[in-house]
Amino acid sequence: MKILFVDDEPDVEALFRQKFRKEIKNGLFELAFAFSGKEALEALEEENPPKFVYVFSDINMPGMSGLELLNQIKARFPHIQVSMISAYGDHENYDKAMSSGAKGFFTKPVDFEKLKSEISSLITANE
Amino acid sequence: MILINLISLFLLYYLKKSVGSEGFPAHLHRYFTYGMIAAAALMIAGVARVPPAFLFQLFSLVLIGAIIYLILNTPELKHLRTIAITPLPIVGVQALEYLVSTFSPGIFDIIDNYFDAAGFFALIWAVTMGLNHRKQIKEVEIERMISKEQERQLRNTAEQKSQLEMLVAERTSEILSQKEELQETLDHLRSTQEQLIQQEKLASLGQLTAGIAHEIKNPLNFVNNFSELSADFLQEISEEMPKIPDSPEKETILGLLENIKSNLGKIRHHGSRADGIVRSMLMHSRGGTGTMEPTDLNALIREYANLAFHGMRANPNPINVDVQLDLDEKLPLIKLNAEDFSRVILNLVKNAFDAMRDKILVQGSEYKAKVTIRTKDLGNQVQIQVEDNGPGVPEQIRDKLLMPFFTTKKGTEGTGLGLSITHDIINAHEGSLEIKSEEGKYTLFNILLPKANS
Repeated sequence: MKILFVDDEPDVEALFRQKFRKEIKNGLFELAFAFSGKEALEALEEENPPKFVYVFSDINMPGMSGLELLNQIKARFPHIQVSMISAYGDHENYDKAMSSGAKGFFTKPVDFEKLKSEISSLITANE
Repeated sequence: MILINLISLFLLYYLKKSVGSEGFPAHLHRYFTYGMIAAAALMIAGVARVPPAFLFQLFSLVLIGAIIYLILNTPELKHLRTIAITPLPIVGVQALEYLVSTFSPGIFDIIDNYFDAAGFFALIWAVTMGLNHRKQIKEVEIERMISKEQERQLRNTAEQKSQLEMLVAERTSEILSQKEELQETLDHLRSTQEQLIQQEKLASLGQLTAGIAHEIKNPLNFVNNFSELSADFLQEISEEMPKIPDSPEKETILGLLENIKSNLGKIRHHGSRADGIVRSMLMHSRGGTGTMEPTDLNALIREYANLAFHGMRANPNPINVDVQLDLDEKLPLIKLNAEDFSRVILNLVKNAFDAMRDKILVQGSEYKAKVTIRTKDLGNQVQIQVEDNGPGVPEQIRDKLLMPFFTTKKGTEGTGLGLSITHDIINAHEGSLEIKSEEGKYTLFNILLPKANS
């Protein structure tokens, strides 16, 4: 089971890998990272159907925004769950994300306990 | 000779009547009275034939001669000279007749006919003169009336002039006090304008602060997250440490790890501090010291639309407007900063009035100005619309409308801040403002407010 994180900050990878080191070590899930919307779509297109089940994406990114990415993923891979992670927890973004089919909306700084329970609920659902 | 006395009596009576009593020498009046008594006495004497005829005739001629002399030689009676001349020929003829008949009755008999003719002519002369005199007197009277009227008019003019002068003085002082009031208002306006500019600067500074705060928040999150993670790792390390045999190096390493742990604690602590500061900066830049309270939006709109209308009617250049309220009565309470949001309604309605006033000036009374305010429950949002049938907004300036200090109003009528402030307030309520318009037909401000935070 693969989860894709999309954020234009490269350090996000180190942070998440370290935060989820135990889960990764135990083989509960695999993490992949993309640093733009374009990279994320390329990663999803690599295999058909993609192995990814969940995408967490930042909203404010140069180039394609997280909301655009959300729309594209929902259009092309409707079975993949997408949640947004944004520093701007305003209603406009929230409403747009939810009406475009996002599963959840997390605000920065990320509450890792919430994120972990979200992922584990997904795992139990998948099993 | 009775005729002469009648003339004397008439002359004296006329003189007495026409000179009046004011400002006229008293002794002349006395003369008139005595003269009249004398004339009357002579007449009675003449009729009764008491004295000899020649004496009676002499006295009569002396009396009238004296009267004519008096008239001709008194400056106060100058204007009555014609009346003295009038009987002069009659008197002259009578006097001649008297002289001739007294001193040579023989000649008198011969020329008696001539005397009769002369008497007749003298009578005609007297009548003519009398008529002439009447005419003159009338003219004098008219002149006097005219001059009296002119005098009265002059007096009136002078009176009016002094009244006008008083009015002017009054108005001048009024204008002066108004000028002072205006000066005060101007000063007040200036300071208000400065405050507005200051507030505008603060508002843009607030936006800048919000941007900076967001930018700082991201790296700060990394600082906090990584320091937390590192502390976790140190915990794991300290769990592994007992498995390594003791040695002096191990002691040193444990000491250093202890230092790192306390340093990480400090990093975490100060990171949290910075995070708290950034958070409060963000909250502050969002403005709202005013409280968001569940509010009856329809009631607020009713109140402020009414206020805007009456404010407009009370100000210069009021216009006739049909204000229609189409409010969704099932609207729940909306969490609002009522004070701020009332300004939104006021600004939008006032703007509509101003725009429609311009259209009225162009199109005249055929055009019926109308503002419609609607509310609608859209599920998770509330819609508020302010629509006018004014001149519309040209497409090229539509996106500039919300910019601070952008105004289409002439001169100093608009600050260019109304819509900008309106937009800011709607943003602060996490709502959106959209402008739809067709030139010459309508302008519609569409506000969407989220219900989620109510």
